[in-house]
Amino acid sequence: MNQAGTADLLLAIPAAVNVEQLRTAATEAVLHMSAVAAVGDERSLSGLRAAVVYPGLSGTPETSADGSVHLDPTGTGGEVRFLPFAPPATSSVIPWLGLSTTYQALFGTAREMGVTACAVIAPDLAALKAELLKPLLAPVLDGSFDLVMPIYPIGKFEGLLNSGILAPLTRALYGKRVRFPLAPDFSISGRLLPELEQPVQRITSQGKTLFWPATEAALRDRSICQVYLNVHHPAAADGLDLSTVLTQTVGPLFAEMEVNAPLWQRVRGSQPVTTSGTPPAPAADEATVDVRSMLETFALGFRNLQEVWSLVLPPVTLLELKRLTRLGPDQFRMPDDLWVRIVYDFALAYRLRTLSRTHLLGALTPLYLGWVASYVLEVSNLRIHEAEHRIERLARAYEEGKPYLLSRWRWPDRFNP
Amino acid sequence: MMWNQVLQSLHESMARVISRIAMLLPGILAFVVAVLFFVGIAWLLARLAAAILGAVRFDERLARGTSTITEWSPTYTPTVLISRIVFWATVLLGLLVGLEAFGASSDALLSSRLLGYLPNVVGAAVLLILGNIIARFLSRSVLIGAVNMNLHYARLLSQGVKWLVLVLTAAMVLDHLAIGAAIVDLAFGILFGGIVLALALAVGLGSRDLVSRSLERESTRPSPDGVPEEQIRHL
Repeated sequence: MNQAGTADLLLAIPAAVNVEQLRTAATEAVLHMSAVAAVGDERSLSGLRAAVVYPGLSGTPETSADGSVHLDPTGTGGEVRFLPFAPPATSSVIPWLGLSTTYQALFGTAREMGVTACAVIAPDLAALKAELLKPLLAPVLDGSFDLVMPIYPIGKFEGLLNSGILAPLTRALYGKRVRFPLAPDFSISGRLLPELEQPVQRITSQGKTLFWPATEAALRDRSICQVYLNVHHPAAADGLDLSTVLTQTVGPLFAEMEVNAPLWQRVRGSQPVTTSGTPPAPAADEATVDVRSMLETFALGFRNLQEVWSLVLPPVTLLELKRLTRLGPDQFRMPDDLWVRIVYDFALAYRLRTLSRTHLLGALTPLYLGWVASYVLEVSNLRIHEAEHRIERLARAYEEGKPYLLSRWRWPDRFNP
Repeated sequence: MMWNQVLQSLHESMARVISRIAMLLPGILAFVVAVLFFVGIAWLLARLAAAILGAVRFDERLARGTSTITEWSPTYTPTVLISRIVFWATVLLGLLVGLEAFGASSDALLSSRLLGYLPNVVGAAVLLILGNIIARFLSRSVLIGAVNMNLHYARLLSQGVKWLVLVLTAAMVLDHLAIGAAIVDLAFGILFGGIVLALALAVGLGSRDLVSRSLERESTRPSPDGVPEEQIRHL
């Protein structure tokens, strides 16, 4: 890695990957993209010199052959090099989530190579195809944007943690309407890379695990765009305990809130982000989902976790939750403003260390399941684009509820439950 | 004549009491001075510890690891916790020095016995505090975990764990104080075994309907293919 040389583009794979599959896919994707661009006279993409950095050097024979170069047979000057790097000792519980320590190593390499763009690709390599890489890379390679985030085609009942907490909370805090702030595929311009090294280093030194590219770009007022990416990452968190998923994703988001408090407190409302590409054709409407088990966990949580919830939530919220437990599955609806206040109260309790943070996020799980049940019941008869409008309404509720967060954040004792 | 003798004996007894109090006074004064002196030193040492830990960014360094301290004591940062431990350890040392000074100035047997017993009392107090913290933490962990696993007897499990730890703590405290000796061991064995048996009976017999319903629900849950709830993906 020390003698990596220079390149135009760095393709970074943050977690363990099938090396043979990576070699084939990356070579095909980059050289094909380069060759097509040469024919179409797209200067930013033709003759690309790309380096693919992936976790290797683990002692396995197939990963030790680094530095192999694949030249474009059509003679456009394009080339692809493969460089394994020593992955950090710690790894994320959620396989595709790259840790800040990994990003620190990857961004350092990208800076040393003087790249124009760096694309982070999920280790399942679903996005490593020429037709998908091109929209992800073109805006940063031609210098129009500093960060490109994807919009994935998801079903009504997919990505609910993202739709219910991660995306709307990030949007309300930092003022940019990014649909997938924790996407496993994204690209960054060479201009933005040096600016990101310091926050990544800070996140690593503070023991926080996740890196939020859209948040860092928004805080630096750098240009962000989104592209529709017809990629479906299977098994993002399958088989993992929901509390663990919440601890691994919502915990770091709350931790970043604490660090960036002086900045997000100044942000009002939100701005749309330039979105390009064509939305993929909506998938067939999913069948209805049985929410009884989720409602049971919510009711069980209300019966047993009052002692914990009362440390976090004000009495009025507890009263509203009590009213919800009395409703049957047909009438069960958690109002947006109630859910937003719950998330904000938990964010504040995370900051104030009202109780152990693992306990706190564990206690959020039944409430989250209550919201999921309510959302599923509400959108089960809607079409996908209507469900998307419903998510948009929730995101606006987060923005409208921000004064509540500001008041509680600034004067936590005033609302002390 | 008799009245004179009464007055004389009263005078003598008063003189003896006053002389004993006078003998104790330097000891009491030495105790108060020692405690006040060590409180001052404790304050200084605590400030120094906080400053040093702050300078080396102790909290941040600790946060890089598993941050166990912050999990068990969420309200206080590790720096605050350590500086408080330094403060109270020094105050305790002051108390011991004060008691020693008090004992040296008076030849009372009580003070020497008290001094010898003091480490047991301190150890027992530490055990009691730790036991309570551990009981509360484990009970809450079990409660939250059990609720998230949709176990209807979550509270029962959590209370069971809490009382097991508390009973164990109480037995250890009494053992440390050398109170009861064999009776405590016996009583602890009976009580601990009783709680475990009670839990087993409660779950196995008393709540058998509840358990059978839970198990039934688990066993009748359809296979992963086509499970309705499996259509939901959180990430």
